[in-house]
Amino acid sequence: MILIIGGAFQGKKEYAKKTFGLKEEEFVDGACCGEEELCQAKAVFHLHEFVRRNLKEGRDIGGMAERILQKNPSVILLCNELGSGVVPVEAFDREWREATGRLCCRLAAEAEEVHRVVCGIGMVIKHG
Amino acid sequence: MLTVVTGGSGSGKSEYAENTAVRLAKEEGLPLYYIATMRPFGEEGKRRVERHRKLRAGKGFETIECYVNLENQELPERGVVLLECLSNLTANEMFETEGAGEGTEERVLSGVKALLEKSAHLVIVTNDIFSDGITYDEVTALYQERLGHINRELAFLADQVAEVVCGIPLQLKSKGSK
Repeated sequence: MILIIGGAFQGKKEYAKKTFGLKEEEFVDGACCGEEELCQAKAVFHLHEFVRRNLKEGRDIGGMAERILQKNPSVILLCNELGSGVVPVEAFDREWREATGRLCCRLAAEAEEVHRVVCGIGMVIKHG
Repeated sequence: MLTVVTGGSGSGKSEYAENTAVRLAKEEGLPLYYIATMRPFGEEGKRRVERHRKLRAGKGFETIECYVNLENQELPERGVVLLECLSNLTANEMFETEGAGEGTEERVLSGVKALLEKSAHLVIVTNDIFSDGITYDEVTALYQERLGHINRELAFLADQVAEVVCGIPLQLKSKGSK
């Protein structure tokens, strides 16, 4: 599994396409896909939106990292970094950004590589 | 030696800071202190404090609570100190009645400097609250400005500065580098 993170609008998807030779149709959108679909995809973008929807719908996301790793060990995951702002006023937003951060920590610990994209430029912060 | 650890919420910065402090204490056979600055307000606050307690359990920290006026905080012995975190300490000084108010920056900085004098190693956790691009109300913006300034001052003094991303430490400054 490869994890690509970065702030919003930093060019993560373009970077993933170039770096890993992916085509648009090979990406599944975390904002609307189900877990089954995510676990069969070659690449997933908007993973943070996937977390948001699952939290909103009251699903347990505790074992999500382990399920993804088990069912789709070679997936490329793209996720926004959400944690670098002022503590949100809404409790749900606090829960969401923390859950996304913790999920990324667990995924990063198991990932072969972690890339961080800033201004379209990728930096490998964990090497395989 | 001063180490500053920064990162966003849920980045794994606390765990990294704890492990750094534990390693330093082990290497030199020193006692290990944890200075907690967060008042556990409400259910969510209690849960956060509890989560951190669990994370620290069994690592050998003696916990000291200090919410304002760090300069007066005494330590039982000279040892390795983990101060967590500057964003709470700064908010306490700014917003609490016994806080420093307008003098927040000076009091936080003099507090950290005094603590550094009393410590063999000081590891400080701070917070990246600057990158959401939202324009906040005047008070929140002033809080951001003050914490930003404190972070910069301490990073300048530090021997090491690390930003933790997804649990991965990125070394922004290491001893010997400028």
